[in-house]
Amino acid sequence: MNQIASRAWFSIVLLGVIGIVAYFLNWELLLSLDFSVVWEYRVVLLKGLMLTLALTACAAVLGLFAGTILAIASQSGFAPLRWIVTAFVEIWRNTPLLVQLIWIHFALPIVTGINTTALESGVIGITLQASAYFTEIVRAGIESVPKGQWEAAYSLALPARIRWTRIILPPALRTMIPPLVNLTISFFKGTAILSILHVSELMTVTNRISNVTFKPVELFSSIAVIYFVVGYLMSKGTLRVEYFLQKRER
Amino acid sequence: MRFEWDQLIRYGPDLLHAFGVTIVISAISLVIGIVLGMIACLGKLNGQGGAYRLSTAFIDFFRTIPEVVLIFWVYSCLPLLLSVRISSEACGVIALSLFSGAYLAEIFRAGVLAVPRGQVDAAHALAIQRLHIWRKIIIPPAIRRMMPAFVNFLTELLKATSLLSAIAVAEMAYVASILGAKTLSYFEFLSAIAVLYFVLIFPFSVWARRSEKKLLERTGH
Repeated sequence: MNQIASRAWFSIVLLGVIGIVAYFLNWELLLSLDFSVVWEYRVVLLKGLMLTLALTACAAVLGLFAGTILAIASQSGFAPLRWIVTAFVEIWRNTPLLVQLIWIHFALPIVTGINTTALESGVIGITLQASAYFTEIVRAGIESVPKGQWEAAYSLALPARIRWTRIILPPALRTMIPPLVNLTISFFKGTAILSILHVSELMTVTNRISNVTFKPVELFSSIAVIYFVVGYLMSKGTLRVEYFLQKRER
Repeated sequence: MRFEWDQLIRYGPDLLHAFGVTIVISAISLVIGIVLGMIACLGKLNGQGGAYRLSTAFIDFFRTIPEVVLIFWVYSCLPLLLSVRISSEACGVIALSLFSGAYLAEIFRAGVLAVPRGQVDAAHALAIQRLHIWRKIIIPPAIRRMMPAFVNFLTELLKATSLLSAIAVAEMAYVASILGAKTLSYFEFLSAIAVLYFVLIFPFSVWARRSEKKLLERTGH
């Protein structure tokens, strides 16, 4: 009884919402939508998507590399080194990526005198922010390794390099896979922010095409779908990888 | 290079006003996002049927597309589709509300699902009314459990407001780049807003981390 009532309510609300939206929609425009513009510019859009993916990969790989080094540094016994790592991580995590990008692109050259191209600034910005986020995750992963492993490594007097590469990092990395992939997806989304500097990734390219063809609805709706599909595949793919790793463990 | 303090002092009121705009836009989007999030969360908790599918689609879609794309879509497509004029501030609020709604729905859901099932079953067995179960048994511990994630999201939302500078909303990042272009003191203004953002966001993220740690200690896992 309850279920039928709630289903009826849901249908009424849904129909009401659809009715209101349909009333306000500009049907003339909606019927004149012409998605062939997306197909017409497919090569440019695909190139933009490739750059987006390359930037994501760059942020993920370089960020993970730098993040791992910083995380190891954060475990050091030398306190000033720990403070520097903490300060770096907090500064990059607690300011918006957009502000970091325009700071690197417009403000930094005034101090250093070195001009960077938009792409260089974008890569520097997103990689530095990625490394700060990755540091936190790698640190959490390292701290999740049982104390006994550390003690075993110390009591066997293993050198630091072997202790890290053979004892601590492998189990740490395994527990880190889900957050790492989530982070990679969020940097995939973050690459769209690089459009503020006109790096020719998918978002910038779309903006440019839209300015030429005056078809924003078709273009922006299509790239929203493209971003959604790629992001969704990435997150679903992770679940598969995780499942596979868990199975191998047993 | 000399750090031009006098420029900063001269345009300080403008920056502070923009700081206020950032806070107001985040607050409005957060409130609308909470309402949307609660609706989507209830829909997804249903576990089946049309409401479940609709909420899941809403959550997945707005969590996966980049915020910039969403903002541009609302800004350049929504006025055309509805043939109405929407100010850029309103566009920003709409986009950020949709974004917050999707994220908050998942946060709320995780909080509700973290409430031990036995308590809800016990309440059902005592024939306590449904509304009462929600109000007295599910919501209080759920809020306690989701607070760290909620505040963490708040920091994300504050950071996301900076993206509205792309559609010329007069918030901090936009005002700073305009002032930078006008006075050619990019370094001063951009550094100033970086500091302002940090001062605004850092306390929240520290609080979120602390309370998360406390929660882990208390629940013991």
